[in-house]
Amino acid sequence: MTATDGDRLRRLEHARQGDPEASRSLVAALYPQVIRIVRSHLPVRTAEEDLAQEIFVKLFARLDQYQERSGVPFEHWVSRLAVRTCLDALRAERRRPELRWSDLSEEQSAWLEFMLVDESAPPDTAPASARELLEKLLAQLPPDDRLVISLMDLEEKSVKEVAQLTGWNIPLIKVRAFRARRKLRKLAETFKKENPNEKL
Amino acid sequence: MKNFDTKWQACAARARQGIPRDAQVPFGFATRVTERAARPGTTRVEFAWDRVLARLLAGAVTVLLVCAAVELPHFRDAQPLTPGIENAVAQLVWSL
Repeated sequence: MTATDGDRLRRLEHARQGDPEASRSLVAALYPQVIRIVRSHLPVRTAEEDLAQEIFVKLFARLDQYQERSGVPFEHWVSRLAVRTCLDALRAERRRPELRWSDLSEEQSAWLEFMLVDESAPPDTAPASARELLEKLLAQLPPDDRLVISLMDLEEKSVKEVAQLTGWNIPLIKVRAFRARRKLRKLAETFKKENPNEKL
Repeated sequence: MKNFDTKWQACAARARQGIPRDAQVPFGFATRVTERAARPGTTRVEFAWDRVLARLLAGAVTVLLVCAAVELPHFRDAQPLTPGIENAVAQLVWSL
Protein backbone atom coordinates (compact mmCIF):
# COMPACT_ATOMS: atom_id res chain seq x y z
CA MET A 1 0.00 0.00 0.00
CA THR A 2 1.43 3.38 -0.99
CA ALA A 3 1.32 6.52 1.12
CA THR A 4 -1.34 7.93 -1.22
CA ASP A 5 -3.50 4.81 -0.77
CA GLY A 6 -3.12 5.04 2.98
CA ASP A 7 -4.06 8.71 2.92
CA ARG A 8 -7.06 8.00 0.71
CA LEU A 9 -8.26 5.19 2.99
CA ARG A 10 -7.90 7.39 6.04
CA ARG A 11 -9.86 10.16 4.32
CA LEU A 12 -12.53 7.67 3.29
CA GLU A 13 -12.84 6.32 6.82
CA HIS A 14 -13.15 9.82 8.28
CA ALA A 15 -15.75 10.75 5.66
CA ARG A 16 -17.75 7.66 6.63
CA GLN A 17 -17.71 8.86 10.22
CA GLY A 18 -19.18 12.17 9.08
CA ASP A 19 -16.04 14.33 9.29
CA PRO A 20 -16.92 17.36 7.09
CA GLU A 21 -13.28 18.24 6.40
CA ALA A 22 -12.53 14.71 5.14
CA SER A 23 -15.74 14.76 3.08
CA ARG A 24 -14.79 18.06 1.44
CA SER A 25 -11.32 16.73 0.72
CA LEU A 26 -12.85 13.59 -0.84
CA VAL A 27 -15.13 15.69 -3.05
CA ALA A 28 -12.17 17.79 -4.21
CA ALA A 29 -10.14 14.66 -5.01
CA LEU A 30 -12.93 12.93 -6.92
CA TYR A 31 -14.39 15.97 -8.71
CA PRO A 32 -12.22 15.78 -11.89
CA GLN A 33 -13.15 12.11 -12.40
CA VAL A 34 -16.87 12.69 -11.77
CA ILE A 35 -17.19 15.86 -13.88
CA ARG A 36 -15.49 14.13 -16.84
CA ILE A 37 -18.16 11.39 -16.74
CA VAL A 38 -20.95 13.93 -16.27
CA ARG A 39 -19.81 15.99 -19.27
CA SER A 40 -19.80 12.90 -21.48
CA HIS A 41 -23.31 11.79 -20.53
CA LEU A 42 -25.15 14.98 -19.70
CA PRO A 43 -28.85 15.24 -20.58
CA VAL A 44 -29.60 18.35 -22.65
CA ARG A 45 -31.65 20.24 -20.09
CA THR A 46 -29.56 19.43 -17.02
CA ALA A 47 -26.78 21.56 -15.54
CA GLU A 48 -23.53 19.61 -15.11
CA GLU A 49 -23.04 20.92 -11.58
CA ASP A 50 -26.50 19.70 -10.50
CA LEU A 51 -25.84 16.21 -11.82
CA ALA A 52 -22.37 16.13 -10.23
CA GLN A 53 -23.91 17.18 -6.93
CA GLU A 54 -26.49 14.39 -7.19
CA ILE A 55 -23.70 11.88 -7.77
CA PHE A 56 -21.75 13.04 -4.71
CA VAL A 57 -24.84 13.00 -2.50
CA LYS A 58 -25.52 9.41 -3.61
CA LEU A 59 -21.87 8.58 -3.02
CA PHE A 60 -21.99 9.76 0.60
CA ALA A 61 -25.33 8.01 1.16
CA ARG A 62 -23.84 4.72 -0.05
CA LEU A 63 -20.33 5.09 1.29
CA ASP A 64 -20.95 2.34 3.84
CA GLN A 65 -21.73 -0.09 1.01
CA TYR A 66 -18.23 0.22 -0.43
CA GLN A 67 -15.83 -2.40 0.88
CA GLU A 68 -12.13 -2.17 0.16
CA ARG A 69 -11.81 -5.92 0.62
CA SER A 70 -14.05 -6.74 -2.36
CA GLY A 71 -11.15 -5.93 -4.69
CA VAL A 72 -12.92 -3.12 -6.55
CA PRO A 73 -10.82 0.07 -6.46
CA PHE A 74 -12.65 3.01 -4.91
CA GLU A 75 -12.25 5.15 -8.06
CA HIS A 76 -13.84 2.38 -10.11
CA TRP A 77 -16.75 2.15 -7.68
CA VAL A 78 -17.23 5.93 -7.99
CA SER A 79 -17.11 5.76 -11.81
CA ARG A 80 -19.75 3.07 -11.83
CA LEU A 81 -21.99 5.07 -9.52
CA ALA A 82 -21.50 8.17 -11.69
CA VAL A 83 -22.28 6.33 -14.94
CA ARG A 84 -25.41 4.72 -13.45
CA THR A 85 -26.63 8.09 -12.15
CA CYS A 86 -26.05 9.72 -15.54
CA LEU A 87 -27.94 6.88 -17.22
CA ASP A 88 -30.87 7.40 -14.83
CA ALA A 89 -30.82 11.12 -15.67
CA LEU A 90 -30.80 10.36 -19.40
CA ARG A 91 -33.70 7.93 -18.97
CA ALA A 92 -35.64 10.52 -16.98
CA GLU A 93 -35.41 12.94 -19.88
CA ARG A 94 -38.99 13.00 -21.15
CA ARG A 95 -38.29 14.23 -24.65
CA ARG A 96 -35.13 14.12 -26.68
CA PRO A 97 -34.37 17.35 -28.53
CA GLU A 98 -35.19 17.31 -32.22
CA LEU A 99 -32.22 17.82 -34.53
CA ARG A 100 -32.75 20.70 -36.95
CA TRP A 101 -30.53 21.91 -39.73
CA SER A 102 -30.64 25.42 -38.30
CA ASP A 103 -29.14 24.07 -35.06
CA LEU A 104 -25.93 23.11 -36.86
CA SER A 105 -23.08 25.54 -37.27
CA GLU A 106 -21.16 25.71 -40.55
CA GLU A 107 -18.35 23.60 -39.07
CA GLN A 108 -20.78 20.98 -37.74
CA SER A 109 -22.45 20.79 -41.18
CA ALA A 110 -19.02 20.23 -42.69
CA TRP A 111 -18.45 17.24 -40.37
CA LEU A 112 -21.85 15.82 -41.24
CA GLU A 113 -21.04 16.21 -44.92
CA PHE A 114 -17.75 14.41 -44.35
CA MET A 115 -19.59 11.47 -42.76
CA LEU A 116 -22.24 11.15 -45.47
CA VAL A 117 -20.52 12.01 -48.71
CA ASP A 118 -17.99 9.60 -50.18
CA GLU A 119 -14.53 10.83 -51.11
CA SER A 120 -14.74 13.85 -48.84
CA ALA A 121 -11.85 14.91 -46.65
CA PRO A 122 -12.20 15.60 -42.93
CA PRO A 123 -12.84 19.30 -42.37
CA ASP A 124 -10.10 21.32 -40.79
CA THR A 125 -12.06 22.67 -37.84
CA ALA A 126 -11.63 22.99 -34.09
CA PRO A 127 -12.21 19.71 -32.20
CA ALA A 128 -15.08 21.33 -30.29
CA SER A 129 -17.25 21.48 -33.43
CA ALA A 130 -16.80 17.74 -34.07
CA ARG A 131 -17.64 17.04 -30.46
CA GLU A 132 -20.75 19.23 -30.54
CA LEU A 133 -22.02 17.50 -33.67
CA LEU A 134 -21.48 14.05 -32.14
CA GLU A 135 -23.28 15.15 -28.98
CA LYS A 136 -26.23 16.43 -31.04
CA LEU A 137 -26.42 13.15 -32.97
CA LEU A 138 -26.01 11.05 -29.82
CA ALA A 139 -28.77 13.04 -28.10
CA GLN A 140 -31.19 11.55 -30.67
CA LEU A 141 -30.47 7.99 -29.52
CA PRO A 142 -32.20 6.12 -26.68
CA PRO A 143 -30.27 6.53 -23.39
CA ASP A 144 -28.74 3.04 -23.29
CA ASP A 145 -27.49 3.29 -26.90
CA ARG A 146 -26.13 6.76 -26.29
CA LEU A 147 -24.25 5.59 -23.21
CA VAL A 148 -22.61 2.66 -25.03
CA ILE A 149 -21.44 4.78 -27.96
CA SER A 150 -20.21 7.59 -25.71
CA LEU A 151 -18.20 5.18 -23.60
CA MET A 152 -16.75 3.23 -26.52
CA ASP A 153 -16.16 5.93 -29.13
CA LEU A 154 -15.66 9.13 -27.15
CA GLU A 155 -14.00 7.72 -24.04
CA GLU A 156 -12.29 4.80 -25.82
CA LYS A 157 -13.43 2.23 -23.27
CA SER A 158 -13.16 -1.44 -24.16
CA VAL A 159 -16.25 -3.68 -24.13
CA LYS A 160 -14.99 -5.21 -20.89
CA GLU A 161 -14.64 -1.79 -19.26
CA VAL A 162 -18.14 -0.82 -20.40
CA ALA A 163 -19.43 -4.05 -18.87
CA GLN A 164 -17.76 -3.21 -15.56
CA LEU A 165 -19.14 0.32 -15.56
CA THR A 166 -22.70 -0.49 -16.56
CA GLY A 167 -23.18 -3.99 -15.19
CA TRP A 168 -24.41 -5.18 -18.61
CA ASN A 169 -23.06 -8.37 -20.13
CA ILE A 170 -20.61 -8.32 -23.04
CA PRO A 171 -22.92 -9.72 -25.79
CA LEU A 172 -25.58 -7.16 -24.84
CA ILE A 173 -23.06 -4.33 -25.13
CA LYS A 174 -21.87 -5.53 -28.53
CA VAL A 175 -25.43 -5.80 -29.83
CA ARG A 176 -26.31 -2.35 -28.42
CA ALA A 177 -23.23 -0.78 -30.00
CA PHE A 178 -23.99 -2.38 -33.37
CA ARG A 179 -27.62 -1.25 -33.32
CA ALA A 180 -26.73 2.21 -32.07
CA ARG A 181 -24.24 2.74 -34.92
CA ARG A 182 -26.86 1.59 -37.42
CA LYS A 183 -29.38 4.02 -35.90
CA LEU A 184 -26.84 6.84 -36.14
CA ARG A 185 -26.24 6.15 -39.80
CA LYS A 186 -29.98 6.03 -40.54
CA LEU A 187 -30.48 9.20 -38.57
CA ALA A 188 -27.80 11.05 -40.52
CA GLU A 189 -29.19 9.78 -43.84
CA THR A 190 -32.75 10.75 -42.94
CA PHE A 191 -31.51 14.15 -41.90
CA LYS A 192 -29.83 14.52 -45.28
CA LYS A 193 -32.98 13.46 -47.16
CA GLU A 194 -35.16 15.88 -45.20
CA ASN A 195 -32.84 18.77 -46.02
CA PRO A 196 -32.03 18.19 -49.69
CA ASN A 197 -31.57 21.89 -50.42
CA GLU A 198 -28.87 22.33 -47.85
CA LYS A 199 -25.26 22.01 -48.87
CA LEU A 200 -24.15 18.41 -48.48
CA MET B 1 -22.04 1.26 -43.59
CA LYS B 2 -18.36 0.57 -43.18
CA ASN B 3 -17.49 3.90 -44.75
CA PHE B 4 -19.82 5.71 -42.36
CA ASP B 5 -18.31 3.85 -39.39
CA THR B 6 -14.78 4.77 -40.46
CA LYS B 7 -15.73 8.41 -40.86
CA TRP B 8 -17.65 8.37 -37.56
CA GLN B 9 -14.49 7.13 -35.85
CA ALA B 10 -12.46 9.90 -37.52
CA CYS B 11 -14.96 12.46 -36.24
CA ALA B 12 -14.86 10.86 -32.78
CA ALA B 13 -11.05 11.00 -32.78
CA ARG B 14 -11.19 14.74 -33.52
CA ALA B 15 -13.94 15.19 -30.90
CA ARG B 16 -11.77 13.54 -28.24
CA GLN B 17 -9.25 16.33 -28.68
CA GLY B 18 -12.00 18.78 -27.75
CA ILE B 19 -12.90 17.29 -24.38
CA PRO B 20 -12.88 20.15 -21.86
CA ARG B 21 -10.02 19.63 -19.43
CA ASP B 22 -11.14 22.21 -16.91
CA ALA B 23 -11.96 20.24 -13.78
CA GLN B 24 -11.66 22.86 -11.07
CA VAL B 25 -14.07 22.32 -8.22
CA PRO B 26 -16.54 25.25 -8.34
CA PHE B 27 -16.35 27.60 -5.36
CA GLY B 28 -18.40 26.24 -2.46
CA PHE B 29 -19.30 23.02 -4.27
CA ALA B 30 -17.66 20.67 -1.75
CA THR B 31 -19.31 22.48 1.18
CA ARG B 32 -22.74 22.38 -0.51
CA VAL B 33 -22.39 18.67 -1.22
CA THR B 34 -21.23 17.72 2.27
CA GLU B 35 -24.00 19.78 3.87
CA ARG B 36 -26.65 18.20 1.65
CA ALA B 37 -25.25 14.73 2.30
CA ALA B 38 -25.26 15.34 6.06
CA ARG B 39 -28.99 16.16 6.05
CA PRO B 40 -31.10 13.17 7.06
CA GLY B 41 -32.44 11.80 3.82
CA THR B 42 -35.42 9.59 3.23
CA THR B 43 -34.79 5.87 3.57
CA ARG B 44 -36.01 3.37 1.02
CA VAL B 45 -38.91 2.34 3.28
CA GLU B 46 -39.95 5.97 3.75
CA PHE B 47 -39.67 6.54 0.02
CA ALA B 48 -41.84 3.46 -0.70
CA TRP B 49 -44.35 4.55 1.95
CA ASP B 50 -44.49 8.05 0.43
CA ARG B 51 -45.25 6.55 -2.97
CA VAL B 52 -47.99 4.29 -1.56
CA LEU B 53 -49.56 7.27 0.24
CA ALA B 54 -49.40 9.40 -2.88
CA ARG B 55 -51.15 6.70 -4.88
CA LEU B 56 -53.80 6.21 -2.18
CA LEU B 57 -54.43 9.95 -2.15
CA ALA B 58 -54.71 10.02 -5.93
CA GLY B 59 -57.17 7.08 -5.77
CA ALA B 60 -59.29 8.80 -3.12
CA VAL B 61 -59.40 12.04 -5.12
CA THR B 62 -60.46 10.08 -8.23
CA VAL B 63 -63.30 8.35 -6.32
CA LEU B 64 -64.48 11.71 -4.96
CA LEU B 65 -64.43 13.25 -8.44
CA VAL B 66 -66.41 10.30 -9.87
CA CYS B 67 -68.99 10.60 -7.05
CA ALA B 68 -69.25 14.35 -7.66
CA ALA B 69 -69.72 13.77 -11.41
CA VAL B 70 -72.47 11.22 -10.75
CA GLU B 71 -74.26 13.45 -8.24
CA LEU B 72 -73.91 16.72 -10.10
CA PRO B 73 -76.93 16.29 -12.48
CA HIS B 74 -79.21 15.63 -9.46
CA PHE B 75 -77.82 18.48 -7.40
CA ARG B 76 -80.86 20.72 -7.90
CA ASP B 77 -83.35 17.88 -7.38
CA ALA B 78 -82.25 17.19 -3.85
CA GLN B 79 -83.90 19.20 -1.06
CA PRO B 80 -81.98 18.15 2.00
CA LEU B 81 -83.86 20.54 4.33
CA THR B 82 -87.29 19.20 3.43
CA PRO B 83 -86.93 15.48 2.95
CA GLY B 84 -90.05 13.65 1.88
CA ILE B 85 -90.23 11.33 4.85
CA GLU B 86 -90.22 14.24 7.32
CA ASN B 87 -93.06 15.87 5.43
CA ALA B 88 -95.05 12.65 5.54
CA VAL B 89 -94.51 12.27 9.28
CA ALA B 90 -95.36 15.94 9.90
CA GLN B 91 -98.51 15.67 7.82
CA LEU B 92 -99.52 12.52 9.65
CA VAL B 93 -98.99 14.14 13.05
CA TRP B 94 -100.86 17.26 11.90
CA SER B 95 -103.78 15.28 10.60
CA LEU B 96 -104.07 13.47 13.94
